[in-house]
Amino acid sequence: MEDRPPNEDELVARAKRGELEAYEEIVRLHQSIAFRTAWVIAGSAADAEEAAQDAFVKAHAALGRFREGAPFRPWLLAIVANEARNRVKAAGRRERLALRVAEERRPGGAVPSPEAALLDSEQRDELLAALTQLSETDREAIACRYFLELSEEETAAALGCPRGTVKSRTSRALERLRAQLEPADA
Amino acid sequence: MPELEQTLTRIGRELDWPETPDLATSVTARLRAAGPAGTPGPAAAPPEAPPPPAERRLRRPDADKLDSRRGWGLLPPAGLRRALVLALVSLLVLAGTVFAAVPGVRDAVLEFFGLQGATVERRETLPAPPPPRPLELGTRTTLAEAGGQVAFEPLVPADPGDPDGVYVSPRAPGGELSLTYRPRAGLPRTESTRLGLLVTEIRGDLAPRLYGKLAGPAARIESLRIDGERAVWIEGAEHFFFYRAPDGNFVEDELRVAQNVLLVERGRLLVRLEGAFGLDRAVQIAESLR
Repeated sequence: MEDRPPNEDELVARAKRGELEAYEEIVRLHQSIAFRTAWVIAGSAADAEEAAQDAFVKAHAALGRFREGAPFRPWLLAIVANEARNRVKAAGRRERLALRVAEERRPGGAVPSPEAALLDSEQRDELLAALTQLSETDREAIACRYFLELSEEETAAALGCPRGTVKSRTSRALERLRAQLEPADA
Repeated sequence: MPELEQTLTRIGRELDWPETPDLATSVTARLRAAGPAGTPGPAAAPPEAPPPPAERRLRRPDADKLDSRRGWGLLPPAGLRRALVLALVSLLVLAGTVFAAVPGVRDAVLEFFGLQGATVERRETLPAPPPPRPLELGTRTTLAEAGGQVAFEPLVPADPGDPDGVYVSPRAPGGELSLTYRPRAGLPRTESTRLGLLVTEIRGDLAPRLYGKLAGPAARIESLRIDGERAVWIEGAEHFFFYRAPDGNFVEDELRVAQNVLLVERGRLLVRLEGAFGLDRAVQIAESLR
């Protein structure tokens, strides 16, 4: 995921003063994580795009309430996740999250990256299949912590729960994943 | 970190994430369109609060049952559609590239629609109609060979079936495929192309804004979904079609008057159908793409 820039505080301060260019830069820095978080929750790229876009617009309107010096990303992700959830609620259904590994995206398509080579494809498929057996809350916890690589604080913001709950939920989800994988390992 | 967690992190890095849209541009455009009212301040609404009425987007609960190709799934209340389109869907900044690049177009963008591989803009005034030009679709080939000449599996509409002509051009990253159909019943002759139907296909994900459409105030522009994927319909003589060069500027030689056009996303492909037919017929053709 993108690096957090050293001058984010300054960008936020400028955006609070009404500098749209500064806010545009903030959006650019966070658009990927915001969109992916919304996608994990909504399950649809179209809904994720609209949720993330609306969230950035609302975050801009609420900038006056944002405490300068506080981490921006958890604050933003709470708004993004809220927007994504609202769409799921309004639709009355949730798109099934299509988790696939992007093998075809590798340049040239011939040689997998060293990281990918480490992953046994069977193990990967098995894990992705096991993930679909988890409850929605467990799956979201795993996706936030490991796929999106969010911190506990950011995951708590995205899931709308205390950090302690993130810990227990993640640990429970990992247990369940291990249990799902056990018969194959035995 | 224990092995399972490490494995999950590695999988996350290899996941086929959907491509992140250019939110910085669209969000800034919305904020600009909202004007000073969108300026942040202590009195601004908290993030949890519902959006102001003009920004409210509601999903019609039975949208899927009504007609799966109509609407983008998120429909505003009917009375707010116009306001929503003008205030929120007008992505002024993105359009600014064309604003600066197309001669004779110096007025504000009234509406803006973005798809993977194409943009559609409505303007108050349009440039003077360019003289008719040959289509320059590229090199003639066959359906059987086309698959090896472009970076995608060509889609052919089962209705009307096999094309009369197949062309491949290197104009788009990943190649551009064109299928031509002579006029026939259900596919009336189109003045701009002298064809009954022109189908063009590109990898929209590789050429995010290659196709541009400029439409005047009288043209009909409708966003819809076909088989769950986004599409835009442009109808009326008042519009132009152009290509963008890699630097974002429009290619002057390739601005031409276009007939009715349906732009539809199919996975990573953007498919463009041009003809003198109406929306229902265009959707019929798009739904038969295989």
